Amino acid sequence: MEKNTYDAIVVGTGVSGGWAAKELTEQGLKTLVLDRGPMVKHGDYPTAMKAPWELPYGDEPTRHDIERHPIHTRPSFYGITQSTKHWFVDDIDNPYVETRPFDWFRGYHVGGRSLMWGRQSYRLSPMDLEANGKEGVGVDWPIRYEDIAPWYDYVEHFIGVSGSVEHLPQLPDGDFLPPMELTCVEKDFRDKVSGKFGGRKLIIGRTANLSAPLKHDKSPQRAPCQYRNLCMRGCPFGAYFSSNSSTLPAAEKTGNMTMVTNAIVYELIYDNDKGKATGVRVLDAETGHQTEYFAKVIFMCASTFGTTHILLNSTSSRFPNGFGNDSGELGHNIMDHLFGTGAHAVVDGFEDRYYSGRRPNGFYIPRYRNVGNDKRPYLRGFGYQGGASRRDWTRLVDTPMIGASLKRAAQDPGPWTISMMGFGEMLPSHRNKVTLDHSRKDKYGLPLLNFDAAHEENEKAIAKEIIDDALEMFSAAGYRDVRSFAVQANVGAGIHEMGTARMGRDPKTSVLNGWNQMHACKNVFVTDGSFMTSSGCQNPSLTYMAMTARAAKHAVDELKRGNI
Amino acid sequence: MNRREWLKSMSALAVGALAAPSLLAVMDAHAAAKAGGPAMQFFSVPQGDVITGVVDIIVPRTDTPGAVDAGVPRFIDQMFKDVYTPEEQKRYLAALAAFDKAGSKPFLQLGAAQRTALVTKLHEEALATGQKLDPVSAPAFVLMTKKLAMSGFFMSQPGCEQVLQYIAVPGAYHGDIPLSKAGNGRAWAVETVLRI
Repeated sequence: MEKNTYDAIVVGTGVSGGWAAKELTEQGLKTLVLDRGPMVKHGDYPTAMKAPWELPYGDEPTRHDIERHPIHTRPSFYGITQSTKHWFVDDIDNPYVETRPFDWFRGYHVGGRSLMWGRQSYRLSPMDLEANGKEGVGVDWPIRYEDIAPWYDYVEHFIGVSGSVEHLPQLPDGDFLPPMELTCVEKDFRDKVSGKFGGRKLIIGRTANLSAPLKHDKSPQRAPCQYRNLCMRGCPFGAYFSSNSSTLPAAEKTGNMTMVTNAIVYELIYDNDKGKATGVRVLDAETGHQTEYFAKVIFMCASTFGTTHILLNSTSSRFPNGFGNDSGELGHNIMDHLFGTGAHAVVDGFEDRYYSGRRPNGFYIPRYRNVGNDKRPYLRGFGYQGGASRRDWTRLVDTPMIGASLKRAAQDPGPWTISMMGFGEMLPSHRNKVTLDHSRKDKYGLPLLNFDAAHEENEKAIAKEIIDDALEMFSAAGYRDVRSFAVQANVGAGIHEMGTARMGRDPKTSVLNGWNQMHACKNVFVTDGSFMTSSGCQNPSLTYMAMTARAAKHAVDELKRGNI
Repeated sequence: MNRREWLKSMSALAVGALAAPSLLAVMDAHAAAKAGGPAMQFFSVPQGDVITGVVDIIVPRTDTPGAVDAGVPRFIDQMFKDVYTPEEQKRYLAALAAFDKAGSKPFLQLGAAQRTALVTKLHEEALATGQKLDPVSAPAFVLMTKKLAMSGFFMSQPGCEQVLQYIAVPGAYHGDIPLSKAGNGRAWAVETVLRI
């Protein structure tokens, strides 16, 4: 037992787990970091430097790839390519149940989805943290913006976020590296939007790519962005934030981290006498060998549904319905962002303007609905992410061009097109839930997760307005061939999983307190997306990072005080 | 434009039932695909020769290499072997057979000018027919082969580097510059695609 005992255990190495590992080890805790997948060291990105002609099949999935990834090749996802398929789980080996359809896209390896994430980094605003309480939706957040703000500063400074200062109440500014540039058509659209629609603003996306060197010297492995736009393969330049390139090297440097890979945590160990969690039970993914590890404090960062699976599977006389589940809310209130709808258009003119380099970022139109004096028949709102660029050679396929004239025509950049997609807020609802199906087991003998969630009335109203407003703005800008699009997408498609172990003030209606600490077991902290009490419409990863760092500080303080 | 949307607009380009799982393409071993490389694995030798002949008309060698130089026939072979479904394979082979009967003689027995005339005529016919195009017809074969030839070629090294322009590591981003200042002023081989 002694050799398996640490000060802290962190379960998972994605966005949240990496931050927990860094913060706990830097504050002197001997920390065991567990991941259910194999090791990926920074730089160990096999396709990162491949040219288009070095990838088989034009980077498209083969029949065999599609057979192994029936979920990950649904229309709402694009990750199963020759250059990135190795980062996503095999759906046949990793099944789940869908009482109602749910898009669950995941990667089991060190770094988790921090390797493949979209990197868009936005703060929640004061109005986001007040909305539930004001409107009587779900439960009130137990914290306010002022509680997180310094932690947003802290993580932005460390990871590097490129963006512009805008003074918007619905989208607080941060500690930014220089903003990336807009293209000429994006500027044109920006000016027309602000001219014709008061209160709406188009800004460059805020992204965790280094547009300039970091403002600190703690991450020598991270270099500025090279504008290859191949981030999802893993960046050998360390130019975007991933656990692999950023937080895990920092944790390793302390000498306080022990990492064990292929370690599937399937249960938390609860000690009735102490009233605490004492450790975790682990299965080796390759051998099935079972091990127990022990620690004073446990950070659950296994991803929203990963953590929820472990907690639901950890039953005892004290917690017959799942670990920490006195409220009955564990597994409920699934949130994601509305995803997959928007519009596109062709933009005439600007033929003599172009760009160089491939920008791993787009424009952002922050939420403007139900902000200030705007009042809608639904609650909350949405933001748009989009971009404008020139069409490539594919435009020539259905033209009469053939032979030498086709080659010549392909050398000219095509017309400009612009498109944008809405990300809408999803309200917490007790009806949207995930449970364990004990009648069906995976290859390790663990019960499968069963998803039962769908968008409700408020989401449907937002989805309609996302399309209406996009069409209206492109039309008002005078663009041509304005059309809407709607990708077939289920809840989950935004890969912004949230809500299944929510924070709140009252242990009767929430799983965690305002410190991401379990109401019912004070030495267990949950800092992945499952803690989210409401979803906002902003990409949530930055908030997970800030809240993880904040929770880690609190955990260390409480350990020192002897409270946990 | 994000990739999902871009892929969607790609399939909109495909006429009717011709939409294939992918029209974006390039093969793993362009070098191996050039003359002297291993034989085709999906197509028979005569089928491969017909495809090569058509591909050569669609993207010929000019002052820059053409699709055959870039190994595109082998790319098409690999796509049918491993990517396309059995129905798509069957459809393409049937369209190829129809194409071979569309001229006054089998395609490989035609002279160079006759070959070009036939491919040009069928290509125009395919575009004129539009959505109603029969996927196993001779015009459908030409249009499908055009898409595959362009995909294979414009993602090949000569296509990217000698016809279009490609910089593996740009090192900087300039969002709004005159076309004349954007490298050599040609279209970028890889357009900006936002992946959200």
